Amino acid sequence: MNSFNRHVLSAAVSAVLLGLGGLAHAENTIKIAVAGPITGPVAQYGDMQMMGAQMAVEQLNAKGGVNGKQLEAVLMDDVCEPKQAVAVANQIVNDKIKYVVGHLCSGSTQPASKLYEDEGILMITPAATNPDITHQGYKMVFRTIGTDDQQGPTAGDYIANQIKPKNVAVIHDKQQYGQGIAEEVKKTIEAKGFKVALFEGVSKGQTDFSALCTKMKSANVDFVYYGGYHPELGLILRQCREQGFDAGFMGPEGVGNKDISAIAGPASEGLLVTLPADFSADPANASLVKAFKDKNQDPSGPFVMPAYSAVQIIVDAIKGAKTEDPVKLADYIRKHSFDTPIGKVAFKENGDLKEFQFVVFKWHADATKTPVK
Amino acid sequence: MLEFFQQVINGLTLGSIYALIAIGYTMVYGIIGMINFAHGEIYMISAYIGLITVTALTVQFGVENVPLILLFTLAASILATSAYGWAIERIAYRPLRSSPRLIPLISAIGMSIFLQNYVQIGQGARDLSMQPLISGGWRFGSDAGFQIYLSYMQVLIAVVTVIFMTALTLFIARSRLGRACRACSQDLTMTNLLGIDTNRVISLTFVLGAALAAVAGVLISLHIGKINPFIGFDAGIKAFTAAVLGGIGSIPGAMLGGIILGLSESFASAYLRTEYKDVVAFSLLVLVLLFRPTGLLGKPEIEKV
Repeated sequence: MNSFNRHVLSAAVSAVLLGLGGLAHAENTIKIAVAGPITGPVAQYGDMQMMGAQMAVEQLNAKGGVNGKQLEAVLMDDVCEPKQAVAVANQIVNDKIKYVVGHLCSGSTQPASKLYEDEGILMITPAATNPDITHQGYKMVFRTIGTDDQQGPTAGDYIANQIKPKNVAVIHDKQQYGQGIAEEVKKTIEAKGFKVALFEGVSKGQTDFSALCTKMKSANVDFVYYGGYHPELGLILRQCREQGFDAGFMGPEGVGNKDISAIAGPASEGLLVTLPADFSADPANASLVKAFKDKNQDPSGPFVMPAYSAVQIIVDAIKGAKTEDPVKLADYIRKHSFDTPIGKVAFKENGDLKEFQFVVFKWHADATKTPVK
Repeated sequence: MLEFFQQVINGLTLGSIYALIAIGYTMVYGIIGMINFAHGEIYMISAYIGLITVTALTVQFGVENVPLILLFTLAASILATSAYGWAIERIAYRPLRSSPRLIPLISAIGMSIFLQNYVQIGQGARDLSMQPLISGGWRFGSDAGFQIYLSYMQVLIAVVTVIFMTALTLFIARSRLGRACRACSQDLTMTNLLGIDTNRVISLTFVLGAALAAVAGVLISLHIGKINPFIGFDAGIKAFTAAVLGGIGSIPGAMLGGIILGLSESFASAYLRTEYKDVVAFSLLVLVLLFRPTGLLGKPEIEKV
């Protein structure tokens, strides 16, 4: 190698090093990764999460950001696939982002949370409700939503006390979230002395449920609980109603989306859904609701306010703890309470909220919902 | 007993769709001995064309005549997907005609991934849905007991399937081009030597297969009413299974395979558990292949010298 080449090479190497150094110095922003489904069958929920988180970032930036730095939301698409979630988590680690609002689906949150725990990244999920996520003994994992062992009993109690069905079918989609909540509901209603005639799993992405409908109809099922997401339940409703199966249906917050009415049409009328309380109806949030409405966004989705709150908690913790170190922040969050759009929140040792309420709503064919007493 | 008949209806509806797609696999295999893995994607594209055409006609132009909408949608979908079928063969398979068998197979998988992403970019990765164009049906049985329900849509699926299958069978058995197809499936080189443009016959095979997949796609978008860019994969695997079950290369075999697969899924959900429907369907495939390696109606391949 002649001397000219060597000079060129060393110049190139130092340019690269300088370039990287320059990047590291240019960090005048605090990046928060917002990870959830931007594409795929349940992307509507991702929209709610992104919308809430971005609104929080915008409003907090307008108030001057944190410690003179601006916040930046980095949107990441995990399609609600566990595989993809791990890839996204790796990317977050490589990009040296220290805070994550997400993921959304329990099935993708669980594998991703391990990476965050190992790498010391603070994760707050605004949507994943499966209890196992916070039962792994992790220190970096929090959620601003309730869990299925709260939601399941809420649904189960409602079925047992209000509906009093003779013959219940509990159907789920064999995913971590769907099967988890279905088992909770089954446990609750069986404890109250009701009989579960059918407990079966369908496949994610399945489109023909006519055999299942016939089976439920011939077994004289008069109430169906479905654990899973709206694409499958929408088709089940549509195909079962067409066969003349007129039992009542109920599902968790994963089915409470306007798309269920787009898929099932009139068959979605009267569907019961357990959802977080409608925070957008809380008078304390009036100005925030107006900010969403001004942007033509709908703040009533179940994950909008929890996502907003997750961002706010991260920022409040940075301010309160006077550090950006995620591990210290996790400690701070565990010990303090925060005023957020979902109310005054405090966390248990495992990262779950100390209090969270699920409410039963009745869904209508025009994709609106009304709370039931 | 009445539930049993209802399950038969459910299974036949599902099986008809599988059979329509399976024919595309079996025809291509019968003639050039390759598995066209992009065929499921053709079905997915036709479901999109079907849904978009129906929505455009009903919402945009306010057409209310259901048979007219149906005919127009079928025609539009068949034309467009035939073009896709032809183009796929031209771009991805013909240049590889004389290469080892594995190469076109990889090319087919590549084509399948390409088409999935192409639709995903063009139409978005989210579910599209529409309300049923044809609703209602007949109910049989007493008001008090179990009523069998046969929807107009299910009847339509069965009738359309039978019409297109009969047309295809007649075409293969009676027409000049059909005879050329049969000749090609027996010996491609020899047919070429006898002065038949085999490239044209192969193109025709792809076009016919795509046209039947188009029919299946339109029917499914009308029947299920919810589609996304990934439905082709599942349906493709099931239809391929149906083709192998019936004997790949045999057209009546593909029809039989589709129906058997549909019925077995339906009965497995009904009398075992819904979780087991795929287990039963694929166990059946393994059993059939163990005892009849060429499938139910397939002919053993004769070693050509």
